[in-house]
Amino acid sequence: MTTSTARNATRVMTAAEAVTRFVRPGAVLGMGGQNIGRCPMALTHEIIRQRIGGLTVVGCNLSIGMDQLVGAGLVRRTESGSGNLERFGTTFCWRRGIETGTLEHEDYSHLAMVSRFLAGEMGIPFMPTRSMLGSDLLTPAAAATSPTRGERPGKAVVTDNPWHPGECVVLVPALLPDVSIVHVQRADPIGNVIIEGFATHEPEMMRASRHVIVSCEELISTDEIRAHPERTTIPFVYLDAVVVQRYGAYPTSTYGYYDYDGDHVAAYQQAARLGSPAIDEYLRSHVWGCATFEEHLQRATNRVGLDALDASMREMM
Amino acid sequence: MSAYTRQELMVIEAARQLRDGDIVFVGTGLPLLATTLAQRTHTPNVVMVIESGVIAPQVRPTPISVSDPKAMYRAMKLGTLREVLGSLLQRGLIDVGFVGGAQIDRYANINSTQIGPLGAMKRRLPGSGGANDMASHCRRLLIIAHHERRRFPERVDYITSPGFLDGPGGRRRAGLNPDFAVTVVTDLAVMENDPQTCALRIVRLMPGIEVEQVLAETGFPPDVALDLGEVAPPAPDVLRVLREEVDPGQVYLKAEAPAESVRR
Repeated sequence: MTTSTARNATRVMTAAEAVTRFVRPGAVLGMGGQNIGRCPMALTHEIIRQRIGGLTVVGCNLSIGMDQLVGAGLVRRTESGSGNLERFGTTFCWRRGIETGTLEHEDYSHLAMVSRFLAGEMGIPFMPTRSMLGSDLLTPAAAATSPTRGERPGKAVVTDNPWHPGECVVLVPALLPDVSIVHVQRADPIGNVIIEGFATHEPEMMRASRHVIVSCEELISTDEIRAHPERTTIPFVYLDAVVVQRYGAYPTSTYGYYDYDGDHVAAYQQAARLGSPAIDEYLRSHVWGCATFEEHLQRATNRVGLDALDASMREMM
Repeated sequence: MSAYTRQELMVIEAARQLRDGDIVFVGTGLPLLATTLAQRTHTPNVVMVIESGVIAPQVRPTPISVSDPKAMYRAMKLGTLREVLGSLLQRGLIDVGFVGGAQIDRYANINSTQIGPLGAMKRRLPGSGGANDMASHCRRLLIIAHHERRRFPERVDYITSPGFLDGPGGRRRAGLNPDFAVTVVTDLAVMENDPQTCALRIVRLMPGIEVEQVLAETGFPPDVALDLGEVAPPAPDVLRVLREEVDPGQVYLKAEAPAESVRR
């Protein structure tokens, strides 16, 4: 492979190559998506396939991607505002890990988490918020939610507004992921990214990250980006890798492209709820036993199934 | 129109708490259902805001997640979490926060983080999500929950989302906006905070429900309002909209024995 430091060099590569190059053991991994929407499943599967462990997974809502990483034994710690798949239940591997003490977790509110990414992207050490005041979210995390204990300072600090003494604000520390993974609708070869529809915490998180890998439904030309620059969500300067993967968020939805596959989400949830050996069997069948994400798609669904997900989304547009 | 269930009336009564023109920050599940009902009946100008970044959608049946495309249908803006939780909610532009509750205590503190006290967790729950942000920044908080004793303890195991904390003056001492009011709609009753004591008290009963039944299913002894009222039964057209337009697939509204049959 030719490596080039030129700003306009193509960043298109395979998921395997992107993960090998930018996801290191022990990394702080920023997770895109929310609940059953636009979770970066192709990139998550590649991390599991390469068994890159000791990860700290961060995000606002952490969902099926995070849960599969935990189920694969690759996560040491999570920091988030929530972990669940809403109507499909909680994130069972995550819940089991916290309850048995094998997984550390630190709780924030969703606004507090996005404020941490905002501080990160602005190059400042912290951000004030008025969320979390009076709540147990301000108590030390280890004491609060992990049986393993071990208090860590620095989760958040309550202080006075310097301009209005007596008025409380909470300072939350900047969060700069080592690498973020996000599935998006479109990108060009050098890494200009277009996110359509809701964007959750992703813009702040991507701009705060040292490295960013996106997978995209469609690769478009840089001329198309230049023709409508106002549509660019994240410019190429933040990007390290662009992986072209149609249905890369499956079984979660991608706004404008396809709906979520409730049957497959439920099938995963059943395995996750049962734990070992059901979850190992799921991961063997759908990740470790597949050379690529395409193979997983072939095992999990078929053309008819994917067309139905496309049609369901089209009907809502 | 056949007899209604208590769950249906709970959703309808919750929808009645919204006023036309309210900007409502809506949580997933029953809050989204009740707000959609309100929008399609008595408050057509209610504006929904959903934490994934959705502003002013016309929700289609039946979204199962804040990231479900059905919750984004015909929205006026699809943006970011920071735009809605920060620039609308924390900024003070939301009238009502509307959440479901895992555990709610006497002072309307909500726990969605863990069952069991600090250091002795028995069950990990999903966590705050945007609920802490809603309870911190809204002046009116609307909670919808099934009325079970384990859901209404004297004191929640973990305060995920602040109600009145430890009672009068609690919010002010913590640095939160003290201008705050809570309504809890359950399948047995409606409770509101007493303006003086801040504690939840029973203000209305569901038809056919006695105070004793509510007390038996509440882990703290709530006061009963002097002017205790009864929740009005649903108007037939509202019940029809709920069943046929809002949750036609019975995703949330389970088939239950009609409320009439539990009358004594």
